[in-house]
Amino acid sequence: MTDQAQETREGTDVSLSAPQGSTEKSNHIKFLIWGIVVAVIVAIFLPAPLFASNLSFLFYMMLWLTMATSFNFVAGMAGYMPFGYVAFYGVGAYATGVLYKTFGLPIPVALAGAAVAGIVIGLLVAPTLRLKGVYFGIVSLALAMAMKLAISLMPSEITGGSLGLILSAANNPVAAYYAMFIVLLGALAAGTWLSMSRLGTALRAIRDDSEAAEVVGVNVVATRLKAWIMATMFPALVGGVEAWYTNAIDLDSSFNLLVTAKSIVYAMAGGLGFLVGPIIGASALYGIDQLIWRHFPTLNLLILGVVIIALMLLLPRGIVGAFAQRFSRFRRFIP
Amino acid sequence: MNELLLQGLVNGIVVGLIYALIGVSLNVIFGVLRVVNFAHGEFIVLGAYGAYFAQAWLGLSPLLALPLIFIVFGLMGYGLYFVLVKRLARSNDPEHASLLVMFGLSLVLGALMLLAFEADARSLNFTLDPPFLMFGNIILPTTKLLGLAVAVVVTGALAFFLYRTLPGKALRAIIMNRDAIQIVGVDLNHLSALTFGLGLGLAGITGILVSMIFPSFSPFIGQDYTLIGFIVIVLGGLGHPIGAVAGGILFGLAEQTAMVFFSGTVAMLLGFVLLIAVILIRPAGLFGVQNSR
Repeated sequence: MTDQAQETREGTDVSLSAPQGSTEKSNHIKFLIWGIVVAVIVAIFLPAPLFASNLSFLFYMMLWLTMATSFNFVAGMAGYMPFGYVAFYGVGAYATGVLYKTFGLPIPVALAGAAVAGIVIGLLVAPTLRLKGVYFGIVSLALAMAMKLAISLMPSEITGGSLGLILSAANNPVAAYYAMFIVLLGALAAGTWLSMSRLGTALRAIRDDSEAAEVVGVNVVATRLKAWIMATMFPALVGGVEAWYTNAIDLDSSFNLLVTAKSIVYAMAGGLGFLVGPIIGASALYGIDQLIWRHFPTLNLLILGVVIIALMLLLPRGIVGAFAQRFSRFRRFIP
Repeated sequence: MNELLLQGLVNGIVVGLIYALIGVSLNVIFGVLRVVNFAHGEFIVLGAYGAYFAQAWLGLSPLLALPLIFIVFGLMGYGLYFVLVKRLARSNDPEHASLLVMFGLSLVLGALMLLAFEADARSLNFTLDPPFLMFGNIILPTTKLLGLAVAVVVTGALAFFLYRTLPGKALRAIIMNRDAIQIVGVDLNHLSALTFGLGLGLAGITGILVSMIFPSFSPFIGQDYTLIGFIVIVLGGLGHPIGAVAGGILFGLAEQTAMVFFSGTVAMLLGFVLLIAVILIRPAGLFGVQNSR
C-alpha cells in the first residue's frame, strides 16, 4: 500500500471514530475555507476587465486554473493520469471553430457543442478506464495523438486543413474573458460537488482501494464515469473559449502536449486530491512561467523542464500536500 | 500491386526491428526500475547527433561509433540513475512520478539540443558501395540492410545477455520479484543503475541506426520516437523485453504496409488504432501477464 493511501485511510479512520459533531465541525471549517477561496477568485477576476491593463494574463490564469482543477477530478480524486488530456482541449477548440465557422452557428451554441463533443469523446474512450496505472496514461496519450491525426485527415473545407480556422468575425475578448470566468466557476462548482458530496467519498474510496470500495457497495464504474465526464467536459469548454479569445485554431497548438503537461504540473505542484491544490499550484506556477517567458523566451521550455523535475523530486505531494503532511492536525480542514 | 505490398512488408520488417529496439530498451528500464522513460526519444536523437559528430569531428564511421556511443550513454545512464531515478522510489506513486520526471527531462534535453544543434534537420553522410541491392523488383538500400543486421545482432546479444548470463538473469529476476532478489544478495542499487545505463546505451545505439535508416533527424522528433516506443511496449506487454520485439515488428509492418496503400498520416493513425484494439482485447498487451499488477 502506498503512503498516500495509508494516510488517507488513517485520516478517514480518525474522522469516523471521532464523535459526529467533530466531523461536522471540521467539514464546516473546510467548507468555509473553500468558500473564502472561491470568493477571492470571484473578487479578483469578476471586476478585472474594468481596470486591468493586461487582460490576457488574467484570461490565461483562469484558463490554467480551470485546466488544473478539472485535471484534479481524474488525477487527484479518481487516481488516473490521463497523459493525453490535451485531446479534450483540442477537440473542444475544433468543435467550436467548425460549428461557428463552417456551420455558421452563434458562439454560445458552438461552445455548448464543444462541451458535448468533449463528453462524447470522453464516453467513447471511457472503456480505457479499466486500464491501470501507466497503461492508462500511455493509451490516453496515444488517443490524443490519434485524435489529432483523425482531425488532420478530415476534409479541409470543414477543419481548415493545415492552415487551421480563423474566427476573426467573432472577435470579442471581453466576452470571451467572461465566458472563461463562467467556465472556471463551473469547474469550481463541479469540484465542490465531486469532493464534498457522497460522490467524493466514493471516489476517494475507489482511488485508494477499488476492490474494497466495491465490497462496501460503491458502484465503481458509475462513480468513476461521473468524475471522468466532468474532467472531459471542462477542457473542451476551455479549448473552445480559448479559440474564441485568440480567434485562431490550428492542429499544433490545439493538440500541443504542453497543455497536458502544464495541467498536470500545475495541479501536482499545488497538491493533487485537494480542491485548493490546483488553485495554489496554477496561480504560483503560471506567474513564474510568465516571468520566465518574459525574460528568457528561448529558455522557457528548458526551465519548465527543470521545474518539473525539481518539483517531482523535492515536493512530490505538492505545496498543499506537503503542508498537510507536516501539519497533519489541520489536514481535515483543508478543502 | 503485389510488389508494392512486398516492398512494404520488407520495409516493415526493417523499420519494425528499429521500433523493436526502441521498445526493448524502454521495457528493460520499465521492467526493472518501474520507470516510464518519457525522455527515451530524446536520448535516441542524442545518439543520432553523437554519430553525426563522431563522423564530423573524429572521422568515425557510424559502425565504429556504435561501441563508443554505447559506452558513453551507458555511463551517462549509470550516473543519471543516482541523480534522478533512485529518489523516485520514495514517491508515493513511483510510476507516475517517473513519467513526469522523465517528461521534464525530455523537455530539458529537447531544449538543450535545440540550443546546441539548432533547429535544422541533419542527416548522416553515410553510403555503402553498392547503394542498393535488388531482389527481383524489391529495392533494398544497403544502409538499411546494414542497419537491419546491426539491429538483429544487438537484439540477439541482448537476448543472450538477459537469458544466458548471470547479471542478465538477475535483471530479469528483478522484473519478476523485486523483494525476493534482495534476499538472495543482489545489490539492487548497482544493478538498477547498470540497467538504466544499459537502457540508455541501447537508446544511443538505436539513435545511430535511426540516423542510418531514416532520412534525417532534428531536435524535435524525440517525442515521436518516445510515442512509437510506448505503442510498441504496450502492444507487446509492459516490462516484457521479448514482447517488445513482437510489438515492434507488428507495428512496423502495419505502419509500412499502410504507408504503401494510404498516406503517412493514415499509417500513424492505423498504429494508434492497432494499439487501442489490442489494449481493449488484452489489457496487459500481447505478451503481458494478465494479473501481474
